[in-house]
Amino acid sequence: MSKEELNKKEESNTVNRRDFLKYGGVLTVLGAMGVSAAAAIPKKAVSKNVNKLIANNIVKEHDDFPAEIREDYVAPTNFDNIHARAFFADALKPLGVEVEKDIIENGRQFVHKMNHAWDNSKAGYNQVDKALLAGSWAMSNYGAGPSPAAISDYGVFSWEQKTEKNPQAFLDNDFIAPEKWKFESKQEAANYIKRAAKLFGANLVGITKRDKRWDYSKFLNPIPPIARKPMSGMPTPEQLEELKNWGPDKFVTDWNSFPFEPKSVIVMAFEMDYEGFATAPCHISGASAGDGYSRLTKTAYQLAVYLKNLGYKAVAAGNDTGLSVPYAIAAGLGENSRLGQVVTYKYGPRVRIAKVYTDFDFVEYDKPKSFGVMDFCKNCMRCADACPSKAITHDKEPSFEPTHDNKDNAWYNTKGVKKYHIDAKKCFQIWAELGDDCGVCIAACPYNKPDFWHHRLVDSVSAAMPGTVHDIMREMDKLFGYGNVEDEAAIKKFYSPDGKSYNGH
Amino acid sequence: MIFSGIEMLFFTLGVMTTLGIGTIIYYNRKLKFNGWAWATICTGLFLLIFTTAWSVSAVLEGEPRASSMGLIVFGIPSIILLVLGRKLALSKKTKE
Repeated sequence: MSKEELNKKEESNTVNRRDFLKYGGVLTVLGAMGVSAAAAIPKKAVSKNVNKLIANNIVKEHDDFPAEIREDYVAPTNFDNIHARAFFADALKPLGVEVEKDIIENGRQFVHKMNHAWDNSKAGYNQVDKALLAGSWAMSNYGAGPSPAAISDYGVFSWEQKTEKNPQAFLDNDFIAPEKWKFESKQEAANYIKRAAKLFGANLVGITKRDKRWDYSKFLNPIPPIARKPMSGMPTPEQLEELKNWGPDKFVTDWNSFPFEPKSVIVMAFEMDYEGFATAPCHISGASAGDGYSRLTKTAYQLAVYLKNLGYKAVAAGNDTGLSVPYAIAAGLGENSRLGQVVTYKYGPRVRIAKVYTDFDFVEYDKPKSFGVMDFCKNCMRCADACPSKAITHDKEPSFEPTHDNKDNAWYNTKGVKKYHIDAKKCFQIWAELGDDCGVCIAACPYNKPDFWHHRLVDSVSAAMPGTVHDIMREMDKLFGYGNVEDEAAIKKFYSPDGKSYNGH
Repeated sequence: MIFSGIEMLFFTLGVMTTLGIGTIIYYNRKLKFNGWAWATICTGLFLLIFTTAWSVSAVLEGEPRASSMGLIVFGIPSIILLVLGRKLALSKKTKE
């Protein structure tokens, strides 16, 4: 072979620098064309197709409530809630409901510590942490009072349905408009309501039919009506008369006292601070929960006023009036879990829930969705391992009845729904010791992650995988350093200006 | 700051992908990869890009341990695959 032929052959087998630049140029042009083509596709169409792809493969929609319910299931009263019973034991006594002494004592301790106590020698419980806790709860305490303890009809969660402006008020929009707004379609109505809820501050919104199974059957509220709202003028003679006659016979009401027949429930979820929950258990994680309650108070009230101004009746609620977790599941916000909290696709269990009951029903309802959480919970048990009071069960399978140590006297469990039953008595014990609402189970849950692409990827992969893979994923989650609790470094990180406060967008 | 960390990350990933594909094409012209070389090099490149995406994202979300673990769990296999792919590509050339 001649030298010229050899050079020619070599040239044909190799790519010189000019060729490389040429290929690079072609690649760049192709890439740019691809990007332009992608940009030309309407963003909505892309997200719609991606959502459809995910919905078909990972997120499953259900026509019915996605848990077995036994025929003997009975809707609980609001005083089956351990907080209502602990904090209002005195009001229940004349009604013949005796509350266990340890629950009353835990309630007293919790209220005392949460209102007055701090410990400057203990990280996460200093005066500065206590101030954070107090500030975070302030709006909920003022606006919704005992709603977190399941007591209805207080403050901005009032059941009052005025039809005209308060004459004493300068500005007042909290009354039902005389004309009803007609939406063109159910979907349009859902879109408008959800957009309003997001504007007011909700992170997730779903709409479901009112379901009596998830409403409290009876309502305890021993607070005299005149003391349930800030004074907006001189008390009327009727109010003073009502106060004079106030007594235990009026403490418990039922749905006959509700101002209308609710047809729909708008359920909203509010993200709680990730870095705050990483400090659990301490006043900082408690403050993250408190801030969730304060935000839900504001938003739920705003949405109720929005519906009233559309001409419909509405009552805002937090933990009161009905069970928030099944309503959130029914409205498609998330799935049930071992720790008893709803696990949302975007924020995991790190959410608080609010509801708005309304008589408006010309609206497209959401369907319950599942994405593998209950399957993952069967093997994971990170919340159960981390729980300081061992209130979360280690049972592999969910059950209709509680299986914990206090199961024979578990009046606080809703029996007849196939789920993991929490021992609320043990859970409340640690709240009393800490003086805040613990939050360890939420912090330890592998679904509790910042809103980053790689966590959604892992969640999607885990939903498609069998149980043995879940074991590996749980261990990997630990190895990767997620879900740590009782971590003092997390407190420093929370207060550091270099902390996250950044959600990947 | 004009661009957020995640925007910078995905821009960098785009640059890495373009350079990676360009380099593979360049060396394929030179060495003529067989099926195994293609498979190992492409998987290695994908894993390398994924490692970068994972680890930088973990730093951005404030979880440095997850970032380090990402380098170990995804990064090391990506390096092994790329080195193996290189060896497979070169061994074919040596035989010729």
